[in-house]
Amino acid sequence: MGKDAARAEWDNPMQFVLACVSYAVGLGNVWRFPYLCQMHGGGGFLIPYLLMLVLLGVPLFYMELAIGQKMRLGSIGAWRAINPYLGGVGLASVVTSMYLCLYYNVINAWSFWYLFHSFQSVLPWAECPVNSNLTGHVEECERATPTQYFFYRETLDISGSIEENGGIHMGQALCLLLAWMIVYLFIVKGVKSTGKVVYFTATFPYLVLIIYLIRGVTLHGAINGVKYMFTPKMEQLANPTTWINAATQIFFSLGLGFGSLIAFASYNQYNNNFEKQAIVVSMVNSSTSIFASIVTFSIYGFKATFNYESCLERVRLLLLNTFDLAEDTISLENVIHWIAELNRTHPEQFASLGGRLETCDLEAELDTAVEGTGLAFIVYSEAIKNMPVSQLWSVLYFIMLLLLGMGSMLGNVIAVITPLSDLKFISRYMSTKTLNGLVCLFCLLLGLGFTTHSGNYWFTMFNDYGATFSLLFIVLIEVITVCYIYGIKRFEKDVEDMLGHRLNCYWKIMLAGVSPILLIALFIFYIVNYIQGGTPTYQAWNKELGKSVVTEYPPYAQAFIGLLLASSVCCIPLTALYTYCKKRNLASGKRERTVSTVSA
Amino acid sequence: MRCLRMLVRILVLLYLAGAPALAQTLCQPNASNGYRVRISIKTALGNQAYEWNENEMFLFRATMAFAMRRYYKTETYNVDNIIVCNQTRRVSFWFVVISPENPTMLIPKADVEKAVSMSRHRINNAFLLTDRTLEFLGIYPTLAEPVNPDTPPWLIVFGVVIGAVFAGIIALLVSSLLQKRRKEKGMMEDGQDEEDRQMKGVENGINLDGIYNRGFTDDDRFTKL
Repeated sequence: MGKDAARAEWDNPMQFVLACVSYAVGLGNVWRFPYLCQMHGGGGFLIPYLLMLVLLGVPLFYMELAIGQKMRLGSIGAWRAINPYLGGVGLASVVTSMYLCLYYNVINAWSFWYLFHSFQSVLPWAECPVNSNLTGHVEECERATPTQYFFYRETLDISGSIEENGGIHMGQALCLLLAWMIVYLFIVKGVKSTGKVVYFTATFPYLVLIIYLIRGVTLHGAINGVKYMFTPKMEQLANPTTWINAATQIFFSLGLGFGSLIAFASYNQYNNNFEKQAIVVSMVNSSTSIFASIVTFSIYGFKATFNYESCLERVRLLLLNTFDLAEDTISLENVIHWIAELNRTHPEQFASLGGRLETCDLEAELDTAVEGTGLAFIVYSEAIKNMPVSQLWSVLYFIMLLLLGMGSMLGNVIAVITPLSDLKFISRYMSTKTLNGLVCLFCLLLGLGFTTHSGNYWFTMFNDYGATFSLLFIVLIEVITVCYIYGIKRFEKDVEDMLGHRLNCYWKIMLAGVSPILLIALFIFYIVNYIQGGTPTYQAWNKELGKSVVTEYPPYAQAFIGLLLASSVCCIPLTALYTYCKKRNLASGKRERTVSTVSA
Repeated sequence: MRCLRMLVRILVLLYLAGAPALAQTLCQPNASNGYRVRISIKTALGNQAYEWNENEMFLFRATMAFAMRRYYKTETYNVDNIIVCNQTRRVSFWFVVISPENPTMLIPKADVEKAVSMSRHRINNAFLLTDRTLEFLGIYPTLAEPVNPDTPPWLIVFGVVIGAVFAGIIALLVSSLLQKRRKEKGMMEDGQDEEDRQMKGVENGINLDGIYNRGFTDDDRFTKL
């Protein structure tokens, strides 16, 4: 272990905990968990979620921290040390982390774009821009909403399909450059600089969330959203998709399998009490998800109520104008009553209204469940533009998104850099700073592909396929390796060596029994789902209709998806094969030498 | 002579009596040269809404006459040239503009539209209303010209932030370079002491805090003869 003599370390265990929190608490907590909560029966979803946390999340998290702290190497070195044939697991983690690095920073670039555009007297996504001859608004914006127009046209300048590439959007490219420069600034000195940064990136988002919680629950109509979320629909528990989504969410939310946790833990002191820390970080991550969803739902409630009341206002005006009634006869409260009344008294005139009369439904507004970038950049910004002093709330919100995204990015980049800097032939020729700079530059240049006109479609492809299936496979192999190939007994001894006390029954049962079974079940489900799903599709923005349409991927894109999946998964068998061949050559080489000495 | 004068007076009287009736027939809902106006005072002003009565109507006709004067750049238009009809409780009504020279002739729709568009802002302000609450159905308000600053404001904020980040990176790199140089200079001066201290090493993550016994140092280079 001579080479670890000068290994960098966290200044104190708190930095390590905050780094893990900063990494685990990311955008998924804000934009995926509330969506799942809404889809799978509100408060009732917490039951499968917390159950999966205990059965799957915490044990696997514990295992990764233990490996990193014991081996004191990044993922490639650590897995090679555990079992030389399975060094490919580490390599697969690095490849997956690399894919994640490429596309994840693009989200930060969008957050920067929105943040910088918040410094205007009128938020640019609040109203449609005027068209060239000043007679009305831009058509595409009229058909969609101003927030959708701002996201799809002005932010992304999106093309109609993945085939139409177009050029690079300069504003996006600049924001991506800024995002990578900030990542470099945070990691330039290794854990010394990262350790200081995580104090901020881990804690400030909570401050913003609390401010938003206070603002959110005091908004008009927020209570509708919160009530909607917490009303449990227990029948959803019978749906197997609920349980699978809960498991998947825990799994991806904790960031297992990327190698980031191994990398973070490798900078720990040998006797650091990671058991307590694993439990703490997992709990913090889950409570943040629940906390963030309260905020999200109060904002949903506000937006839904606002839209509902705008709808009622439009209906009221329509009725007043058609029937020429005095202004104060119909108010927002008795619109529904008046509709029935006018239908009864003036049926022909009422029929002439035809399709112009909208039905306003609060439930339907609340039901529009959105996740992912759509939630963060379209729904939230729509809600923010209607708040008083919207510029302030917009700035706060996008700073929070940036901190969450940057915190996760740190973990992703460190997961790639740590194993690379552990490799002897790299650490001999370049310093950490140069290596960090090269990795950031490489990712920036490749990431520019996501800033083209069709970039968002490639982004979605990477997001859906780059790290989902491969991670499950990687973590499954990890658990089986540690428990059965390395042996749970050896693992127990290592942990006792580090912590001073033995693994208790909970960890043993979960790691050796429950978690692998759950992982295999998830894995089978994913494969079945993928096969049953038919041709993979994506949502393409149609500018004539002003909405997204479901389109099939062209053949070369499907081949690329296959490549994404295969490239990380294949690392494991290929490395095993390579190690086997190398060992056989070495063994046959030794045999030849021994033969020659005997004969000599 | 007197008969002629009386005939003229009777004709004038008949004309004056008939004119309003004639005017009324000129103003009709869906008239070809008329416009419908819809006013929403309560929506615009809420608690401070005023009552729509004959005086307000008079003000409207006066404002329209003002708009016509401004458009044609003449002083011939008067309140009588604006005819209003079909008022509803909604507060909506139709109006037509008759020519001051020839009371039977209506001013064409296009000219009325141009006159209204020209003075729209003044008309709105006279009633404390906006384009949305004082509607001329068929005349679309020209939207405000978008303000295009020379440098988009987002670029300014971006420039500030990226400058700060760049400065931070340079500062960190330079400071670590200076630190390394200082350490190298320090090492050359101290010489042996530094080398011995580095050989203390770290075993199993626990620092050995003993003092290195120089008696076993490999210092052959100094004792070689």
